Amino acid sequence: MNNTSTLTVQNVVIGVILLAALLAVPHFLKLYHQDLLIYLTINVLAVCSYRLVTLTGEWSLIHAVMMGVGAYTASLLFIHFGLDMWFTLPLAGGVAALVAALLCFPLLRMTQFYFLIGSFAAGEAIRLTWIEFVGVFGGTGGLTGVEPPIFWGIDFIDPIPYYYLSLAIVSFSLFILYRIENSRVGLTLHAIHWKAALAESVGVDAWRYRALAFIVGSFFVGVAGALKVHYLGSVSPNQASIGFMVFILIWVIVGGYNKFYGPIIGVVVLTVFDESIRSFEVMRPAIYGIVLILSILFLPLGLESIPGKIKSWFGVGPAPQDPPLTDQ
Amino acid sequence: MAILEIKNVTKQFGGLTALNDVSFQVEEGEIRGLIGPNGAGKSTMFKNIAGFSIPTKGTIVYQGENIEGKKPHAIAEMGIVRTFQETTLFQELSVFENALVGSHIKGRTDVFSAILGLDKQKQKAAADKVRDVLEFMGLSERQNQLASELPLGSQRALALAIALVSEPKVMLMDEPFAGMNAEETNHMMDLTRKVQESGITVVLVEHDMKAVMGLCHYLTVLNFGQVLAHGTPEDVRNNEKVIEAYLGGTK
Amino acid sequence: MELFLLSIVNGLIQGGFFALFAVGLVLIFGVMGVVNFAHGELVMVGAFTIWLLHAQYGLSYIPAIMVAIVLVTVIGLLMERFLFRPTRADPLAGLICSIGVLFILQVVATLIGGDGPSKQVPPPYQGTLVLFEFLRIPYQRVFSLIISVSALGSLWFFLTRSKFGWALRAVAQDREAAALQGINTNRISIIAIGVGAALAGLAGGLVAPLTNINPHMGHNVIITAFIVTIVGGVGSLSGAVLAAVLYAMFHTFMTVYFGGTVATICGLILMVVVLIVKPTGLMGVRISE
Repeated sequence: MNNTSTLTVQNVVIGVILLAALLAVPHFLKLYHQDLLIYLTINVLAVCSYRLVTLTGEWSLIHAVMMGVGAYTASLLFIHFGLDMWFTLPLAGGVAALVAALLCFPLLRMTQFYFLIGSFAAGEAIRLTWIEFVGVFGGTGGLTGVEPPIFWGIDFIDPIPYYYLSLAIVSFSLFILYRIENSRVGLTLHAIHWKAALAESVGVDAWRYRALAFIVGSFFVGVAGALKVHYLGSVSPNQASIGFMVFILIWVIVGGYNKFYGPIIGVVVLTVFDESIRSFEVMRPAIYGIVLILSILFLPLGLESIPGKIKSWFGVGPAPQDPPLTDQ
Repeated sequence: MAILEIKNVTKQFGGLTALNDVSFQVEEGEIRGLIGPNGAGKSTMFKNIAGFSIPTKGTIVYQGENIEGKKPHAIAEMGIVRTFQETTLFQELSVFENALVGSHIKGRTDVFSAILGLDKQKQKAAADKVRDVLEFMGLSERQNQLASELPLGSQRALALAIALVSEPKVMLMDEPFAGMNAEETNHMMDLTRKVQESGITVVLVEHDMKAVMGLCHYLTVLNFGQVLAHGTPEDVRNNEKVIEAYLGGTK
Repeated sequence: MELFLLSIVNGLIQGGFFALFAVGLVLIFGVMGVVNFAHGELVMVGAFTIWLLHAQYGLSYIPAIMVAIVLVTVIGLLMERFLFRPTRADPLAGLICSIGVLFILQVVATLIGGDGPSKQVPPPYQGTLVLFEFLRIPYQRVFSLIISVSALGSLWFFLTRSKFGWALRAVAQDREAAALQGINTNRISIIAIGVGAALAGLAGGLVAPLTNINPHMGHNVIITAFIVTIVGGVGSLSGAVLAAVLYAMFHTFMTVYFGGTVATICGLILMVVVLIVKPTGLMGVRISE
C-alpha cells in the first residue's frame, strides 16, 4: 500500500515516450502494415477484456463470439438504421453485455471444466445461429458494407486517422479496465479466484462478481468487435470461430495472465512474430502450436515474467512480486 | 439469551447420516467448544451453520431468524463468519490485502464508483479498520508480505484477522489449533480470548479435547453425528460416555 | 415410417462411431484430468492415414486401419509423456498444450494431403445389405457398426475384468487415493491415453470411407465429443456410450427434418440444458462434498 502512487516522474517520462512512439509508428509503415496495426490495437482490447473475465479463475471460450456479437450488432445498426460509429460502438458493447448477462444464468452455475465447455457450447450455438438465419445475419458470408465514420471533415477510411481513433478508444477502455482491476472490485475478483469459499465466508457473493466480470469483459470485447467491423467493413461467423478464440487464449497465456500488461505484450509480440513468419504460409499454425507448447512448458508465467527472472538471475532486486491490488 | 439455536438438525448424504437430530444452543458472548472424535460430524455442523451445506432436516435460528438454506455470503452478512480448517488464505495476496477482503461487507462498492473513484472515503475507512485488526493480531509488521510467506502461527492469526475485519457477531473457528506446537497453541488461545473479550461469540471445533478445556466456557460433545453430552469442561471431563467414546474411537 | 426406421439404423451406426472417440475423451479426462482438445485431430489423423495408405498407395483396408491405430496411439503416448505429464499440476496448461498439438497435426495433414479439396476414400466394401425392401444398408456401414460394437465390448471387458481396468477406474475416481494404494498412476495414464488414442485412430479408420476427409474435420468431432461427454456424464464411460447412441439418433433425426446446422444448434442447447439441470449427466455420479 506504500508508494503505489502511479504519478512518479519515471512513470510520466515512460508514458510520454510510449505515447509518442504509438503516435509515430503508423508513419513508418506501409499501408498493409498500417491495417495490421489497427487490428493489433483492437486485439489489445480483446485480450485485456478477456483477462478481466479470467480474473475470477474461470476461463471462457465464448469471448471471440462476444466480439462477433458486437460486430454483428454494429453492422445491423449501420446497415438498417444508418447509425454511425459513435452510436454503434456503445450499443454493440451493450448488446454483448446483455447477451452475457442472459448467459450468466446457465453458464455461471458451472465452474472450471464445465464452464469452459458450457461457454464453448453457448458460443457455438450463437455462431451457428448466424450461419442458419441467412436472412438476418447473412449466413456463412456474413454482413458487408459497414463503413467508418466521417467526422470533423476527416474520413476515417484512411488507416492513420482510424488508427488514432482506435488508439484513443482502446486506451480509454484499458484505463477503465485498469481502474476496475485496481479497485476493491478487482481485489474481490482476485479473492474469488484464489479461494472462493473464504471470500464467501466474509460476505462476498461470488456469483455476482463472476457475472460482473463476464458482463463487463463482454461489453468491452463487444466494443472491440464494433471497432473492427467499421474498419474491415464486413463480419462473418468465421471471424468468431474457435480458431480466433484460441488465438486470444494464446496471446493471453504467452504474454502472461498474472499482470495487466502481460496479455498486451503477448498480442504485440506474437503479432510481430506472426508477420515475420508470413513466408511460411501453411506452416504458420504449426509454428504457433510449437511456440504455444514451448511457452506453456518453459515459461508458464508468460513473457512478462522474463525481466523479473533475468533480474533475479543476476541478483539484482528481489524475486518478482505481484503489484498491490488496491491503490490507496 | 441464546444467539444461535440448532434445532433437530439432521444431515444425510448418500446413505450416510453425518448429523442425526442434533440440538444445542450457543449463548451470546461465550466461547463454545464443539468437540468429538474424528468423523463425529463437527465440521459438517459448521458447514450447515455457515451455509456451505444445507441441513436435510431441522432448523438453525440466529437471533430469532431461520438461516438454514441461506447462501454463505448472506449468512456472513448477518454476522456469522467462519474460519477454515488448516490454513485457508489468499496465498498470492499480501497480508494487508487478505485482511482487506475481509472488509467486503462494509467496503464493497459498485463498478462505476470504482472506476470514478467515488468510494475513496469508504476504502479509507476499510483500510483503517484493517490496520487496527492487524495491529490487534500482531501482524502489522508483516502486512506487506505475501500470505504464503508467513509461518504457520501467523497464517492462522491472519485467517482470524480476515474474519475479524468483517466485524462478526459469531465466529466459527474450524480446528484453529490443528498442527500447532505448544507455544503456537498458547498464542492462539490468547488471541481467541481477546476476540471473545471484544464481544464476539466464539464457537470452535476441535477434536483435541485438551486444547479446548482451558479455553471454552461450555462444551458440546458429538459422536457419530449425535449429541453425546453437554456441559462445562469439568462435567465433560468426568462424563463416562465421553471417556468411552474417546477411548472407543481409538480402537 | 420407412425414413424413421432408416434413421434409427443410421443413428445406431453413427452412435457407435461417436462412442468410439467420446469414450476415449472420457478416459483421458477421467484419468488425467485433461481435456484433450486435439482428440478430433487424432480421428482426423486416423482417417488421413487410410486415405494415404489405402486410397493412394493401395494398401488393403484392414492393415491400413492397423497402421492408423498404431500411429495415433504413438501420437497419444508422446502427448502424455512430453505434454500432459509435465503439466499435470495445471489442467488448463494441458488443455492449451493439446490446442498446440491440434495446430501441428492440422498442418502436418495439410502438408501431406495438399491444400486442395476434401479427400474421399472409395468404400472397400461395396454392395448393400437388404434387410427389407426399404431398409438397405451399405456393407461399409455394417462393417463400421460391427467393429465399433466389438471394440467397445472389448473395452468394457478390459475395464471390468482385468487388473489394469480395475486400477484405471480407481485412478479415474480418485487419483491420490489410488496412488496411496500403490497403483502406478503414470502407467495408468499411459494406458488411458493409449486406449483413448487407439479408439480415436480406429474411429478415423472407420469413418474414412464414409465422409469427406480434410485437415479441419476434427472440429465437428470435438464438438460432438463434448456434447456426448457432457450429456453422458463426465467420467462415466457407460454414460458416454449411451449418450453417443442417443445423441446420434437425435442428430440424425434433426438433420433429416431440419438440416444439419439446426441439429447441431439443438445438440449444443441440449448440452447446456443438461449442464444446468443435471451437471452430472445421464450416468454421472455425484461427487460428495
